[in-house]
Amino acid sequence: MGMTYIPSTLDEALHLRAEKKARPLAGGSDLMVQSKRGIGLAPEFPFDVMIITGLKELKGIRKLDDGSVEIGALSTPAEIADSDLVPWHVRQAASGMGAIALRNSATIGGNIGNASPKGDLPQPLILLDASVVLASIRGERQMLLDDFILGSKKTALGDDEIIKSIVIPDYDFTYLFYRKIGMRKANAISKLSLSVAAVVKDGEIIDFRAASGAAGPRVIRSRDAENLLKGHKTEEIPEIQESFLDSWNNAISPHAMPLYRRNTTRRMLSYFLSAIYSGKAEGIIEEED
Amino acid sequence: MPHTAIDDRIVRVDAVKKARGEAPYVADLNFPDMQYAYMVRSSIPRGTIDSISMPELPDGYWFITYKDIPEEGKNELWMIQKDWKCFAENDVKYVGETIGLLVGPDRNMLRYLLDKIEIKYTEQEAAITIDEGLAVKGGPIVGEDNVLCQLFVEKGRPMDEVFKEADSVFEETIETGFQEHVHLETNGAIITIENGKYTFYASAQCPFYIRKAVAGLLGLQPEDIVVKQTTTGGAFGGKEHFPDVLCGPLLVAEHKIKKPIKLIFDREEDMLYSVKRHPSKTTFRTALDKDGNILGIDGVVVYNCGPYLSGSFVVLQRGVFHANGVYDIPNTHVKGIGIATNTFPSDAFRGFGAPQTLYAVETHLEHIAKRFGFDPAEYKSRYFLKQGGETITNGHVVERVVLPEMMKQVVDASDYFRKAKEYAPGSGKGIGISFYNHGGAFTGNGEQSIIKAHARLVKTGERVRIEVGSTEMGQGFQTTLRKIAAATLEIPIENVDYDNPDTSVVPDSGPTAASRSTMIVGRLIERCAEEMKERWAEGDFAVEKEYEHPEGHPWDQNTFRGDAYLGYGWGCCVVELEVDKLTKEVKVTGIWSSHDIGKAIDELIVHGQVNGGIVQSLGYASMEKMENRKGHFRQSSMSDYVIPTSMEFPKQEWFLVDNPYEWGPFGAKGMGELVFNGADAAYIDALERALGIEIHKIPMPPEDIEEALENAQ
Amino acid sequence: MLSEIVFHVNGKKIVYTGNPLTRLVDVLREDLGLTGVKEGCGEGECGACSVIKDGKLVTSCIIPVGAVNGSEIYTIEGIRDTEKGKCIIDAFAEGGAVQCGFCIPGMVMATYALLSSNPHPTEMEIRKGISGNICRCTGYDLIVESIKLASEKGGDLWA
Repeated sequence: MGMTYIPSTLDEALHLRAEKKARPLAGGSDLMVQSKRGIGLAPEFPFDVMIITGLKELKGIRKLDDGSVEIGALSTPAEIADSDLVPWHVRQAASGMGAIALRNSATIGGNIGNASPKGDLPQPLILLDASVVLASIRGERQMLLDDFILGSKKTALGDDEIIKSIVIPDYDFTYLFYRKIGMRKANAISKLSLSVAAVVKDGEIIDFRAASGAAGPRVIRSRDAENLLKGHKTEEIPEIQESFLDSWNNAISPHAMPLYRRNTTRRMLSYFLSAIYSGKAEGIIEEED
Repeated sequence: MPHTAIDDRIVRVDAVKKARGEAPYVADLNFPDMQYAYMVRSSIPRGTIDSISMPELPDGYWFITYKDIPEEGKNELWMIQKDWKCFAENDVKYVGETIGLLVGPDRNMLRYLLDKIEIKYTEQEAAITIDEGLAVKGGPIVGEDNVLCQLFVEKGRPMDEVFKEADSVFEETIETGFQEHVHLETNGAIITIENGKYTFYASAQCPFYIRKAVAGLLGLQPEDIVVKQTTTGGAFGGKEHFPDVLCGPLLVAEHKIKKPIKLIFDREEDMLYSVKRHPSKTTFRTALDKDGNILGIDGVVVYNCGPYLSGSFVVLQRGVFHANGVYDIPNTHVKGIGIATNTFPSDAFRGFGAPQTLYAVETHLEHIAKRFGFDPAEYKSRYFLKQGGETITNGHVVERVVLPEMMKQVVDASDYFRKAKEYAPGSGKGIGISFYNHGGAFTGNGEQSIIKAHARLVKTGERVRIEVGSTEMGQGFQTTLRKIAAATLEIPIENVDYDNPDTSVVPDSGPTAASRSTMIVGRLIERCAEEMKERWAEGDFAVEKEYEHPEGHPWDQNTFRGDAYLGYGWGCCVVELEVDKLTKEVKVTGIWSSHDIGKAIDELIVHGQVNGGIVQSLGYASMEKMENRKGHFRQSSMSDYVIPTSMEFPKQEWFLVDNPYEWGPFGAKGMGELVFNGADAAYIDALERALGIEIHKIPMPPEDIEEALENAQ
Repeated sequence: MLSEIVFHVNGKKIVYTGNPLTRLVDVLREDLGLTGVKEGCGEGECGACSVIKDGKLVTSCIIPVGAVNGSEIYTIEGIRDTEKGKCIIDAFAEGGAVQCGFCIPGMVMATYALLSSNPHPTEMEIRKGISGNICRCTGYDLIVESIKLASEKGGDLWA
């Protein structure tokens, strides 16, 4: 059983990380649950742990000079959902994450570090080419979140590093779509999720991207599939739609409920494309009754 | 203080204390020198135990097994039969079967020791599903054919004769899954010794069941054991027989240890290792004439019981007795089979076997109606039972049946007929309807021959104390019963006391189950109060009454013929919904219900029961999926076995009809289970219409809808 | 580095020197005897153990006590005799919100958090506000109605 530390500063935390390999514990919603031992008992970990909930250096959401947004690793889903600075897709995902109480205690750093395929936040972040800032006593490095998350529960976090913040570049999309299908209508783990965004200018698809959550061991983005649409005119969508959908279908790899996850993803993407094709008003694409 | 009248709107007696967090549940209780207990359970569904390797136990720690049962005791829990053992000996028959109880003062040490216990098994092939049980996979678990219990009922002419006359025969099989109770308070009990007697504090529906079930372990009589019910945080049948499974090992442990011992399940244990609703498979073969009229129904109902009987035969009987729903089918033959498997034993759950067959018969009739082009509501209403009509057990409906009036209420309020026409099959919108009932109290003359319920009223000055074995578990009985007493005595309800039962003080009023409390125990208290009122001037005295069965309603428990129930609750429910075209998520947009419960003793409590029962039923139909793979339940938490939140369903519209029941207090009948029995079928009817397909099972989460659509193509 | 954890529970200062991974719910229930906090699931899914931490609703079963240093925690015991607490509890009783009662202290805390930030919520806002608190008995309608009642009766209390 490991030791537990409560560092008061980021510097202390980085030293603990480097020297003891202590793993950060913030909101508790993942680690405390995974290692629970029942009523009246504290969880036990086979490694050292540091409770970093109080570290001010990891808090706050701010706009950077280049227009991108930096979200401190200890920001909660409630704070993210409430922040005007945060892009729409991420706010949507944050506001639909778990229950209210969980949204007040879970953290974006934890959600990313846990790297669960069902995690809510990595999906829109990967859509938006967000990167993660990793700190250690050696200094800081920044890498794309899509590269950071290696697979289910696997990340590229060095054993002396801490997730410090998440940086989301500034994008302006013409069309946006977000959908999470939970086990129920609230307080639910994701069964499937999808974010889509497109930039359309003068009838041409300048940018197109999509990200699937809970449809494989990690969030799926397929540049190959996206490239099938980019550069085409919206009026060409009917001709290229099927090959795009097939390509996307090949990219996702749902382990359970494959029929449901594949068909639903296909229907959502297809709906989004039809909306662009039919020249819908710019903005958020929502399903109509 | 003004005296309380039966129709007064009052505040539940337990509401404020519970809301303030002051009501003591079993986990909140502590005793000096308290020891904790953890169960050591089988991790395989079927096999023999080769060896148990124990770590060295520090002083003051105990591992209790069947070997600790004294010579004068027997290793059995006396539920209805005595087949369910307290501890496994050489064989294990399901995952989670109790092998031993680890007891000691420190939970950290206990957890450490628990992880060090190694049990080696020789595994045998297990039977998990109904089909595997029927096929005797891995060899018989009980008898030669795994049939734990069976029965049949018949009405009208022989089936082969009826089927010869049929223009067509429609056969289908309808299945239902496991359902977990998820009472918010998990199972738990404490044993101690008070005044020289073994004394339990237990979260339980039936304190007297516990006494009876465990006494034989030490060769004692039930009276030698005291059970005190603690505030019970939901039960729904899950705390009917199941507390016996906790209390048995505790008693054996206490016999050795003689210190207070506390056993509280955490949620994961409560999910994985507790009883569930019986999964079912019902096949109906129906003979029809050319116009779609029903000539007769031949049914086979199979319930998955697990390896031990517990309450299964009674559950199965109720299932079979409700297999014709609210309908007068001229010719019927229904066979029920309780099949043994290697799953955790199935047991009581609100509705007690009736929801499975009611769901099946509702769906079956709805399928027939649609195939012949009739509206299901109109078609079903042709077959409504009426007063005096013959039941499936050759008895008669004693009471006035007001289903047509109830149907009118919900059909009008929901605008059912317009919507039913307007929403085209497969349009994504649907409205569905169901009818259902629930026989109140124990079957036949069970109340008289088996239970012989007693209830007592004790007068001290101006105060009156209710002494019954019935329990409050959330359904509001402490308020309901006080109200019956106060209104009968014409005194303020504040002057009536009714504590959680202590078996050493109160008489046995029978189990708090079977929707019998208001109808049977309530009536007993009404009778006590009537006498007490007449004798009020006599000073301090007590009145005790025993149940008396009305004359002229015979029942033969050997042939299952006669008046199975003297009073039914009746229900009608409409559900309207929309299916999301992209995601197949279902949004319920309206719920309407009407119930005949004779008379509502307390309308606010009834309102809460209606809402809660319907939401539980909708959860059962839509999202509550409990799977069993190789004997292990796959859903182990409240995040993977999901039950409805406040966001799932819209505000309900509900109605009651006034139809006083001759033998109930103030005309009241049972209702706690009734309100669970039918919303599922209305939901599936609506879903079928929205999708334009037939559905043959519940639950139906979006991924199952996707598959059903795929299969229908 | 912290060697002791200092926080307030219902206004009372607590200095905790035990295992920082001890779940807050266990500190509250077992060390402080605040058994109005209920444990229903042990993984933040049911809301029965809800408390208010620094003005926000949290589930005390997934929070290690080491994470509450410097925090102000309120449990049902800390609010039940306040004007707001009494307003909610009375409305719950009057409105028929309580059945088995196990979820109710947590539900009262969720209501407290909701009405404190949104004094006059719509039905949908109420349903959202308690969506992390699971109730198996009531089907929620009467809880929702009772919260409306608390909102109306409380009046300026919530403003």
